[in-house]
Amino acid sequence: MPGGPRLSHTTAMILQAIGIGHIYGYTVMEATGLPSGTVYPALRRLERDQLIRSQRERQSVADAALRPARTYYRLTRSGEAALEASRKRYPLLLKLASAEEVQNK
Amino acid sequence: MKREWLYHTILRTASLVAPGDQRADWLDGWRSELWYVPRRGATRFCLGAFRDALWLRRNNPNPRPGIGIHVESPLSCLGLLAILAAICLAIMVHVPCAGLESPGGIGDFARGMAGMLILSFGLLAATRAAMGRSGREPHPMTWRARLRLGIFLALKIALIQPILLCGLLVCSALAPVGAMGLWAFWALPCHWVLKDQQRRCPVCLRLLTDPVRIGSASRTFLEWYGAESTCSRGHGLLHCSETSASYAGEPEWLCLGDSWSGLFSETAGVRQR
Repeated sequence: MPGGPRLSHTTAMILQAIGIGHIYGYTVMEATGLPSGTVYPALRRLERDQLIRSQRERQSVADAALRPARTYYRLTRSGEAALEASRKRYPLLLKLASAEEVQNK
Repeated sequence: MKREWLYHTILRTASLVAPGDQRADWLDGWRSELWYVPRRGATRFCLGAFRDALWLRRNNPNPRPGIGIHVESPLSCLGLLAILAAICLAIMVHVPCAGLESPGGIGDFARGMAGMLILSFGLLAATRAAMGRSGREPHPMTWRARLRLGIFLALKIALIQPILLCGLLVCSALAPVGAMGLWAFWALPCHWVLKDQQRRCPVCLRLLTDPVRIGSASRTFLEWYGAESTCSRGHGLLHCSETSASYAGEPEWLCLGDSWSGLFSETAGVRQR
């Protein structure tokens, strides 16, 4: 995997989950089946390594929906490249259900 | 809804692990996420917060200065130990099993302390032998510097005795302490005393700062690898090798000459930037 970081399977799963639309911490947990003690530190680590970018939802949006504001995550360019490389290394990542598929179930 | 207090208590407790400057935001984030979690798995979800808080603390880019700052100078180190010793003595006076309130209690206590002191010095020699020699000096130290080092070491050993005794009394009151526990009670503080002594500048007795890694483990042919620490007053450098090769086994203290003094501030005790 020249030029890109070698991700562990767990980290690649989390990256894949974000890549297919599970953009919140808890939805990443649901999609991957990993516990919160694994997912949230991994999200921080991925953000530190600039593979994902976090953003806090606007308070007005959350207030309008009568719920607390959440943090959501997006892949960066280097995150997309790392995910692409990880998909080749871990082909089963593609079996992870996307957010839309989960909603349709 | 009945268990809401439990979830918030877990999160609040975990937040104590997170760095203080990020604690409020961290707690806010976890509470927001908790709102979306079904109550069935909420306890497990909240328990994961401890790992997250621990990660944040370990990877905090701006860590607060810890206890090392407070014990950096020899006086503050001795002051802190003296305060702890005084607190421990006060606790022992009020613990019934110590027997200090009885007429002969004080005499027994003094004899016990003297016995402990002798035991500590014996264990200290054994611990030092087990740890290896402290830094050897290519430049011979003056007898004054040696005396100062010796007095500082002796004072530290004397001041940890009440702390050791108090800890032993409290622990034996809670649960019986076996031979291994007793050994650990003495060996661990003795180890700290020696480690602290090794990490101090032999000239000013301040803790060495700015440890820097030098070399790499895969390139040890004719080179050493380990850490280099500096005296904040510019008295010298301590090289601690991570391998015990014939040419670099023990910590080595290198005195810095007067030509280096321009890099260090004598008044503040910090390096000029």
